[in-house]
Amino acid sequence: MFNRVEVFVRSICRLTNEEQLAEALDSLTAELGLRYFALTHHVDVRRSGDAIRIHNYPAGWAEWFDDQRLGSTDPVHRASNLTSVGFAWSELERMLPLTAEDRRVLDTARREGIGDGFTVPAHVPGEAHGSCSFACAAGEPLREDHLPLLQLAGAFAFEAARRMRRLRLAPPPVMLTDRQRECVIWAARGKSDWEIAQILAISRETVIEHLKQARDRYGVGRRTLLAVHALFDGTIGFLDVLRR
Amino acid sequence: MIIVQSGPGEMHSGRALRTMFEDRKSVFVDLLGWDVPVLDGRFEIDEFDDGHATYVIVADGSGDHLASARLLPTTRRHILGSLFPQLCADRPPTGPDIVEITRFCLSRRHNSKERRNARNQLVAALACHALDRGIRIYSGVAELAWLQQILAFGWDCRPLGPPARFDCGFLGALAIHITPQTPALLAANGIGEPADQPVLSAQAA
Repeated sequence: MFNRVEVFVRSICRLTNEEQLAEALDSLTAELGLRYFALTHHVDVRRSGDAIRIHNYPAGWAEWFDDQRLGSTDPVHRASNLTSVGFAWSELERMLPLTAEDRRVLDTARREGIGDGFTVPAHVPGEAHGSCSFACAAGEPLREDHLPLLQLAGAFAFEAARRMRRLRLAPPPVMLTDRQRECVIWAARGKSDWEIAQILAISRETVIEHLKQARDRYGVGRRTLLAVHALFDGTIGFLDVLRR
Repeated sequence: MIIVQSGPGEMHSGRALRTMFEDRKSVFVDLLGWDVPVLDGRFEIDEFDDGHATYVIVADGSGDHLASARLLPTTRRHILGSLFPQLCADRPPTGPDIVEITRFCLSRRHNSKERRNARNQLVAALACHALDRGIRIYSGVAELAWLQQILAFGWDCRPLGPPARFDCGFLGALAIHITPQTPALLAANGIGEPADQPVLSAQAA
């Protein structure tokens, strides 16, 4: 079966749009004895026009999923943000505490005919988290020996989708100056404007100005959100904030 | 031993090597918990760090290591061929124009932005080095946790076999095909832009 995945990887290098990639994923999925695939960014797709999402889930499922705004709260997506290698959905319970709402989502998926699945997380620093999932029809078994192959297929498929999306648009990265960035790190560590001024040996007014400009660049109004955005796109790292 | 060094610190190869072996200990032993030999309690140096290894090192102005990779010829004993051949569906690729990337290492002494810059310089330097030396394929064993990032550099990667779990992690074997188009593929992902285009020099030590 590795040969089939190898052929898949080679073929998707040459594809130029998501429809072709969806076709390639659909036939790979079927040949590996699975029914569904879903390759997506973990965001509310209706509100993020440039997000990636291709899938062959039952027609009503994607609409329901979006109506519930599940892009960022779906338990599979949340679990995927916690790990960097693939996991079977049967492991969800062990990975994170499931709420009543989570169980409702999983039950609904099953009623729609989506059975056991395997999700490959796709984390690229500075970009929205994403994943590529594969699932059986409800009632059919997930083959353990195919999981390493699904891991490969998912990772390469996500990169192909990323490349296609980049061809569509080249989003200008948010750039902070070094000084703005330092201020954001200290603000993320809970320091006040006055404290940051003391640490960096600059005036409080200058700190306020740096943070204001940084907020403007991200288009956010509060320093908490500024810190979250800067962490999210990799402008600052968790270690910058947590070290010492 | 060949050191291909990049960045302003290229006159200090001894220092770059020493700090590289220290950083390798910090990353692979202290952080990742690999069971590999440590010399003098400070340096991570193993049997493959011999006269046949080539090091591509990005160093700062004082010659301190920022990022590096160790390249091993596949015509001799190397990691994929000798330790993990089972990761390849066919025989592990070998040949004078196939070189294995090992010990891809970013110093932990720097913040995330500096680390990302150093990483990008290293990837660009690896592509330049391959084109300079007629290397057609880089092979390597990668922890799958890093696979998405390796692919996201934009170069042409292929899996060599199904990944498998080992005590040291979930590993897979990759081949990275280097062609004259590689620098442009990397540049589309912001790697090797003119501002951080490394100046390369090679020397035998």
